[in-house]
Amino acid sequence: MFGKLMMCGAALLLIAAHARAETIEEKVQVCTGCHGENGKPVDKTIPTIWGQQAGYLYIQLRDFKRGDRKSDIMQPIATQFERDDMLAIAEYFSQKPWPNLGQPSAPKDVAAKALSASASVGCPACHLDRFQGDGTVPRLAGMGRDYLAKTIADFRTRARGNNPGMSDLMIATSPDDLAALVDYLAGS
Amino acid sequence: MYVKGLAAFAAAVGVGLLSGAAIAQEVKQEKQSVLGNANVPPVTQEQLNAADKNAKDFLLTNGNYAQTRFYPGKQISRDNVKNLHVAWIFQTDVKESLETSPIVVDGVMYVTTSFSHVYALDAKTGQQLWHYAHKMGPITVYCCGPNNRGVQVLGDRVYLATLDSKLMALNAKTGEVVWTTNIADPELGYSETMAPTVVKDKVLIGTNGGEYGIRGFVRAYDAKTGKQLWNFNTIPENSVGVWATKDATGRDMHRNIQAEKDMLAKIGDPYAKLGGGVWQNPSVDLATNRIYFVVGNPSPDLDGSNRPGDNLYTNSLVSLDLDTGKYVCHFQYIAHDVWDLDAVSPTVLVNVKDKDGKAIPGVIHAGKTGHIYVHDRKDCSLIRFSEAMVPQENMWVLPTKEGARMLPGANGGVEWSPIATDPGQELAYAINLHQPMTYHVESSAYPNGKLWLGGAFKVIPSEKQSGNITAVNYNTGKIKWQVKTPEPMIGGILATAGGLVFTGEGNGKFAAYNSSSGKELWSFRAGAGVNAPPSSYMIGGKQYVVVGAGGNTQLDYKRGNNIIAFTLD
Repeated sequence: MFGKLMMCGAALLLIAAHARAETIEEKVQVCTGCHGENGKPVDKTIPTIWGQQAGYLYIQLRDFKRGDRKSDIMQPIATQFERDDMLAIAEYFSQKPWPNLGQPSAPKDVAAKALSASASVGCPACHLDRFQGDGTVPRLAGMGRDYLAKTIADFRTRARGNNPGMSDLMIATSPDDLAALVDYLAGS
Repeated sequence: MYVKGLAAFAAAVGVGLLSGAAIAQEVKQEKQSVLGNANVPPVTQEQLNAADKNAKDFLLTNGNYAQTRFYPGKQISRDNVKNLHVAWIFQTDVKESLETSPIVVDGVMYVTTSFSHVYALDAKTGQQLWHYAHKMGPITVYCCGPNNRGVQVLGDRVYLATLDSKLMALNAKTGEVVWTTNIADPELGYSETMAPTVVKDKVLIGTNGGEYGIRGFVRAYDAKTGKQLWNFNTIPENSVGVWATKDATGRDMHRNIQAEKDMLAKIGDPYAKLGGGVWQNPSVDLATNRIYFVVGNPSPDLDGSNRPGDNLYTNSLVSLDLDTGKYVCHFQYIAHDVWDLDAVSPTVLVNVKDKDGKAIPGVIHAGKTGHIYVHDRKDCSLIRFSEAMVPQENMWVLPTKEGARMLPGANGGVEWSPIATDPGQELAYAINLHQPMTYHVESSAYPNGKLWLGGAFKVIPSEKQSGNITAVNYNTGKIKWQVKTPEPMIGGILATAGGLVFTGEGNGKFAAYNSSSGKELWSFRAGAGVNAPPSSYMIGGKQYVVVGAGGNTQLDYKRGNNIIAFTLD
């Protein structure tokens, strides 16, 4: 994992070289180092962006640039982009096919626990039927397990501070239920 | 108004999720608009004014400008409703939450779906005449599903408000776009799901966004050009009010007034991000040229610590002058709400008895609290409130970090679902939810257009949920009859001169009841949640009843994509 992260970090050294990228293909080159050339992230704590909702991707880039979402890696990248760039990049990745990460389906008892927890705070109300997301709300089904676990934990501690509503909902849900949700969503 | 999922997880476990591949929301291939040629005459203002007496058409979202949802036709009656059968089923392209109120103009039906699609159909056969597939902007921020509750027609134009907060006029014959106006910035949490109300060349529209720290409004736009004519902020710059300590029914709300006053001195009036969405259509009083509507919850929903004062005009009935948008009167049901038990279901204008038993022009609203409130139309004052239609317990316990149990749950009572009335029987018909919940509070700063709940509402999985259909005498406040349903109800109801009410359930049941007794007389299983308000109309001497069966995001009821019309042999 460390090696992959080093490679991912090394790719970031190319940021400067891409600062003057003109075409969308040039602009997204910087993303592939970590998020994967084929849509599968190089590390399990990195989110899938291929096939993700465009509105969500745009908002995250905007928030990284504003500093509302903290990331030593993403903030300098997002800072290069203007709003139109962000919208174009978001649209570009949203049109890619969602990759199958091959994660196992959750056992029935775990799935039942996850769906009970989800129904209790109303996850499908925003993430919609089968957790596909829409607009500025992300798809969760089939997202990398480690990323889901980390970002949910970060919402819960407010280390991820760019959606306090999500933090409130995660705080109101027990760690046990959240663990079931992670397994369920990853295997969906 | 916020959304909470229903503990329908057992069914969902059975369905499971498809692995890997994306699951399209849209179930057919037709994602592009298809222009057509609907042979439909222009709708005049005179026709709209007389909609309450017109059994041929269904011209307004709630039947008429008074919003009675009382259909004057009586061919389908208590005696023959048992023979009702499917005339046709139209499958839309969108298999997602369906809340549309079908509009019928001289044999042409207009329906909408989630993601702001519009269809014109032959109301006799269900054949598609045209389809407008809205090209949604990438930024949508909305609560409670990508819903659309319908359109209205005036002249030769169909008016639509979209999820990405645009107001549009379409050609009623072809489906072509005539004009588009941006209502508000979706990136700041504004969205549209309601049907516009069009009257006297004005298109009236509210906004969603009470869960995102917006400043709510009702606006009038020029029906011919889309130019804004007036704007009424539902949150005035002085939103503090009178420091009310009791709700409309006289119960103490446990406010810490001194703490609020201290906060007010520190941060000033919180009006700019105080919410106050308007989810549903206004009633129009043609005689006095006034409109009546209700305003939703303050932002953030559960945390009142940073919004001192009564938070006017959230959780209120409001009346404005139709021509100018100027304030006339208001009545606040719950000052400084921290439970999201706000005002959503559309207002209804009927004559009511005042406290002395004298008949006066009244306005009625069914609350999430489970009460039907009866007001004097002249000054918005409260005449009476009905018996509670749902269990109420522990009101008004304040939300806590650990969660405090209180009934009703945050969805109500009566959610956005329109009620119906039968003035001859002095009855109002409402559909209700019973969802035990705990209310949790957390504090956070304004998040720039993101979800801002100030905590969480949690359905208690171990407690039984249910729903009901309730008939209330609005001149006495007494419940005349009540039919219990196995699941919480959301969608709407229609009363008819045939002595019937029609309504649907999340389990797919659509049924007709005797409007005097509540006795079930006919039912049908639609295969997906029937969570939309029914309409009725006549073609070729035959009465039809039509309803959408597409399920519901808010309560996670089974999705579908059917518009189903019924008639007699």
